[in-house]
Amino acid sequence: MTDSSRCSRWLSSVLLGVILTAFPLQATARRIVWDMPQYSETVRVTSFLAGTVHARDTYLSGSSYDGWGVGFENDNWTGYEPEKLFSQGRMHSDIVFGMMKNPRNGGSTMVFSGRDYAGFMWHALKYSNYDFLVGPAVMCELGVLYNRQNSNNPVNLEGYAGGGICIDNTLRFRNLGYDMAFLATFYAPLAGIGFAPDYDQPYFYMYKYGEYGKALHFISPFNNLVFTQQMALVLPIKESRLRVGFTVDGIRNRLGGHSRFMANTMFTIGFGMRYQTKKWDR
Amino acid sequence: MNRKRLNPVIVMAVLITALLPISCSWSGEAPDREYSNTPRGNFMALWTIMDEHYCFFDLKKDKLGVDWDEVKTRYAASISDDMSDRSLFEVLCKMIGELRDGHVNLTSAYDYGRNWSWKTDYPANFSKDLQERYLGADYIIGGNGYCYRILEDNIGYLVVESFDKAMSDSRLNVMFNNMALCNGLIIDIRDNGGGQLTASESLASRFTEKKVTVSYTCYKNGPGHNDFSRLHRNELSPAVHDLRWIKPVVVLTNRGCFSSANDFACIMKPLENVTLMGDTTGGGGGMPMSSELPNGWVVRFSSAPTFDADMNHVEFGVAPHIRVDMKDEDVQAGVDTYIESARAFINDKLVNF
Repeated sequence: MTDSSRCSRWLSSVLLGVILTAFPLQATARRIVWDMPQYSETVRVTSFLAGTVHARDTYLSGSSYDGWGVGFENDNWTGYEPEKLFSQGRMHSDIVFGMMKNPRNGGSTMVFSGRDYAGFMWHALKYSNYDFLVGPAVMCELGVLYNRQNSNNPVNLEGYAGGGICIDNTLRFRNLGYDMAFLATFYAPLAGIGFAPDYDQPYFYMYKYGEYGKALHFISPFNNLVFTQQMALVLPIKESRLRVGFTVDGIRNRLGGHSRFMANTMFTIGFGMRYQTKKWDR
Repeated sequence: MNRKRLNPVIVMAVLITALLPISCSWSGEAPDREYSNTPRGNFMALWTIMDEHYCFFDLKKDKLGVDWDEVKTRYAASISDDMSDRSLFEVLCKMIGELRDGHVNLTSAYDYGRNWSWKTDYPANFSKDLQERYLGADYIIGGNGYCYRILEDNIGYLVVESFDKAMSDSRLNVMFNNMALCNGLIIDIRDNGGGQLTASESLASRFTEKKVTVSYTCYKNGPGHNDFSRLHRNELSPAVHDLRWIKPVVVLTNRGCFSSANDFACIMKPLENVTLMGDTTGGGGGMPMSSELPNGWVVRFSSAPTFDADMNHVEFGVAPHIRVDMKDEDVQAGVDTYIESARAFINDKLVNF
């Protein structure tokens, strides 16, 4: 097997991993009605995303690229034991694929990204119609940019894994005779390990000489400012719920001596269902 | 916990006003320096990209006397905000042409900016017509730019026109099997402009029985002219699961051998039964990268230098073991001096063996 085919196999594994991050981890459940999840319950929303994508990655090019993107996301809220500090858990996974153009030279760039967030939420404020939850979160993200103008360094893969903060607002209200909810969520990593090539380090060398260590960087908001912000309206449709919303994701980092700026602005539409999670210990 | 009910309009208004500024602040660009899409902006962008990423400034200063700061001053005088795109392209191409590097190019709709003096300033030492005469009509096409035949004196003659694509292991096995009874092998890489490093290494791995240190490489790890990573030793391992060639090999090179063909000459040179014959290769010892100017023109530059097994730069080419020049009288007589010299060398080696 040649170096290039080994490299292709390795890249395929990474891409497969990115795809798999978007699939839900829990499967068996029973459907009941919508509300904040109680102990051992899970509220799951699977949504389709469509909107604009923007990227500028100086490892590939000094130019900005703009275009359209689509994706899927999966959100799970789970109720833990109420007496515990973190009585709620939230898992968010998504994948986004986008095509962008640089109108100045007709060049195109593709983006493929995936991420997983898992937050452990403290119920800080609890009103009859409003819940404010905040807590630590574990986050990881991988994003591949493929610049079709570049023949020698067409691809840049960057990502991070770390810990951060998750803030969740849920406001329930009644309008036009229907129960509705407004959700506002904010995620941001605060510290962790980032992966990005060391300045002009070719991926071929990284693979051939196994010099991955140089591509690992400590991240903080000072060199890797990332956030995900979602606003959504939840509307009732019989026993399930329709969620329509707006998501903004941003990455602004400077790792390995080059910078990446990416921003996705997506409209989302999806269905939410409530499940009773099976207990493994009873 | 308070179980009171909050006014939903107020809560929603607070949440939206709290979150919207965050998303709006991200509509701006990256904090990085960006140049304007004007002649001066594009000029400065190109000069800076090269200044921070090109890997041979010190070498070019020593060998060619290129002072990149002086180049900036000299060419900045030719830039004005009212100049046409075509004029700007010509000035920028001349500026990067000072480096005389085949891996330094500027691409636009007007042209492919280049300086190919590494090839055009030297004798060609190659005739396609003569090569075809030696190959005859019944040569075997191995695929991906490889073709070969067995010459009358039982010497294999392999032409590798390009390393754009690697030949598969099974096709290489068939080729070596076809020439297994030959007394020696001539590999003609003249005018091979390069391609993939993996393709050249894949072929070279058939000519060694043991692991050999063939070259060193590093890459730019910072914007300074001397910011380089540590050196990586490049060891050529034998293709242990495939057919290998242990008889005499002559590699024919000329100034048209560039980039990965230059790399092929570099990694073949230290091997025991290999002899490089002909002219010094054209060079191209820096693995290139690309970037873009504000107006969308694509710039390519060398960013990862390669050194041979003795730690010499191969940017200006790899010298042969045996120097050969094409003779005019041979060409007129329909004889390729290179191929005949290689045949004589192999036959002589067999006699002495």
